[in-house]
Amino acid sequence: MLRKKTCVAMLLAGGQGSRLGILTQNVAKPAVPYGGKYRIIDFPLSNCTNSGIDTVGVLTQYQPLELNAYIGSGAPWDLDISNGGVFVLPPYQKVKSSEWYRGTANAIYQNMAFIEQYNPDYVLILSGDHIYKMDYNAMLNFHIRHGADATIAVRPVPWEEASRFGIMNTDSEDRITEFEEKPKNPKSNKASMGVYIFTWEKLRHYLIEDENDKKSSNDFGKNIIPNMLNDKQILCAYNFNGYWKDVGTIESLWEANMDLLQNPMPIDMHDKKWRIFARNPGMAPHYIAKGATVADSLITEGCEVYGNVNHSILFAGVIVEEGASVESAVVMPGSVIRRGAIVRRCIIAENAVIGPGAIVGEEEGKIAVIGHGVTLPAGVSVPAGEQVDENYTF
Amino acid sequence: MKDVMGIIYTGEGDAQLRELTLYRAIAALPVASRYRIIDFLVSSMVNGGIKNVGVIMQKNYHSLMDHLGSGKEWDLHGKIDGLHILPPFLTRENVGLYPGVLDALRSNTNYLVRSKQETIILSNSKIIYNAKMDELVRFFRDTGADMTLLYTTDEGIKRDEAGTYLSLDESHNVTDLEVDPTHPSYNNIYMQVMVIRRELLRELVDKAVAHGLHSMDRDVIQRLVRDGTAKVNAYEYKGMCWNIDSVQSYFKFNMDILDTAKRKGIFREDMPVYTKVRDEMPAYYGDDCSVVNSLVADGCQIEGSIENSVLFRGVKIAPSAHVKNCIIMQDGLVQEGAYIENCILDKQAIIKRNARLIGPQAYPIVIAKDVII
Repeated sequence: MLRKKTCVAMLLAGGQGSRLGILTQNVAKPAVPYGGKYRIIDFPLSNCTNSGIDTVGVLTQYQPLELNAYIGSGAPWDLDISNGGVFVLPPYQKVKSSEWYRGTANAIYQNMAFIEQYNPDYVLILSGDHIYKMDYNAMLNFHIRHGADATIAVRPVPWEEASRFGIMNTDSEDRITEFEEKPKNPKSNKASMGVYIFTWEKLRHYLIEDENDKKSSNDFGKNIIPNMLNDKQILCAYNFNGYWKDVGTIESLWEANMDLLQNPMPIDMHDKKWRIFARNPGMAPHYIAKGATVADSLITEGCEVYGNVNHSILFAGVIVEEGASVESAVVMPGSVIRRGAIVRRCIIAENAVIGPGAIVGEEEGKIAVIGHGVTLPAGVSVPAGEQVDENYTF
Repeated sequence: MKDVMGIIYTGEGDAQLRELTLYRAIAALPVASRYRIIDFLVSSMVNGGIKNVGVIMQKNYHSLMDHLGSGKEWDLHGKIDGLHILPPFLTRENVGLYPGVLDALRSNTNYLVRSKQETIILSNSKIIYNAKMDELVRFFRDTGADMTLLYTTDEGIKRDEAGTYLSLDESHNVTDLEVDPTHPSYNNIYMQVMVIRRELLRELVDKAVAHGLHSMDRDVIQRLVRDGTAKVNAYEYKGMCWNIDSVQSYFKFNMDILDTAKRKGIFREDMPVYTKVRDEMPAYYGDDCSVVNSLVADGCQIEGSIENSVLFRGVKIAPSAHVKNCIIMQDGLVQEGAYIENCILDKQAIIKRNARLIGPQAYPIVIAKDVII
């Protein structure tokens, strides 16, 4: 028997993130690189560690190889401990059936035995899709103080955009009275962040009930939350006002990266009390050569800059050769921008090579994307909004 | 390499490193934006497949212990072997300070006896190198040597009236060795790294200390070579190396690695150098910064201009500050309008607004830890 835990976190990391196009061709969305040295999953994992939650199940399904390797023993997040730690939980074969995770609720349902091992009072449900820093412990205290059965983290969104989100209508004491998925005429602007705390006993009950309902789509937002509301359970909204960014699309991933270049930074990444931990590639410090120019950019270890970098983010080991120009671009680990190439308003995935004199992206318009490991021939041009993978023909 | 262990001796004299070694051993000196000297040595051993590394501490070893921790960053935190920190302790023979590596090893006889590996690589901690230890050990075994010394012909690590120089025959056997000569007769410089059978080392240490001898090179190796009682040969290290024994040589190493070829010589892709990670965000470069020929670590915020400089983690260069030929350690701050040239700023040093500090190139100014100017 493992020692009891007050709260166990379950991180839903199985989604494909298909709107990220070729960036998630071979990796799950939570493993997508972000911010020069992170991957999206570093944010919820670091939040857990910083919040004192040391037991995390990561539910994987789509292209888990890179994600599994990245999480490893959990050491970068101090989650390599003997009583608790991080556990990768893929779907598995059972005596009577074997099935994929059918929905968010079903994924948790299939891993009830994992949760039960720790006999927790509360379960925190997270997703690996967002960039934010949040104290889950403060949210847990809120949940306990309100005697809630479920607490849903919400954040204010501009009223004109509210109809794109799952909106929580609340009374004056933050109790949720109604939940509307993408309402035409929103009554509130409190959008669900996909971060839930449940009192485990209640959640277990609703997971089993939901599983027995053959018509259910086994989803937290569509089924579990509405069912609990119908049964007059106590559901509370926890207001979060910090930086939160969904990086579900190419444009929003690019924007979220560019947010780090704002002054002041909308998300404080220098806070020593709330570090975002990441697996370290162990490369030499980066080098800026004579004749190079850098401005308004983030650059990390292993980079070598001989050309011009402006308003951009370079990940580990990126090389910008002489006369190359990088402008408003996100260049992921190991990529090389050859002599005289121009890359702008684009995302260049890992280990790509931009041939000499090639041009990627345009000053205006949509973000261009160069896929993982693609070698762009010399002198070619990739227009705005194009996605270039290995099979692309020029 | 399962049968090889490593021992690093960190008790070298540090008189010429001034304030830099006030609070730390040479092995713990911060170098190259984010490393400590010992990182190169431990990483070399680990990359060579060694799983048992002992670090003999001497004085001021807190910062070294703090840095090495459980050995996790070097994968030396397993159940079998791993990192062994060997601090000095009082014994009948040792009252605190080791006169040399022999006495240090004598004090740690238990560690030598208890370890399972039959072969030992014994390294100093002031020469920075990144060697293929497995090839060194293969040479030691293939030649059936009792002791193999690692040497270089790189003149950069040569010192006046210091160092040990080797004469070799065609099959690389050591035929003579000179310790601290004024005019060395040989070009082969011993790097203070050796491979030796564990049992033999224990025996030699025991005998030497029992006879009141303190110098490994003069009293042990030289005698073995002269008396012909053991087969002592040497293996050439062809990579880059630096001897960090003074402020000048410390400064030179950091400036040397600004050169891409030299940097790649020590930071090799197939032999990564591991260090303690601080989880800082990538370095930020402001709109009006100017950066020329510099190495910069994560967590830095550069808004002023830097030239030929090495910046450690978390350093801030304010707008209109100018930094030239400087080494600025962790969390240093150079405020608006300040100008510094040929300076070494130890950790958390602050150069106030409009201050000017220009050291001579041959004798850089050292600003001690936490000092505000």
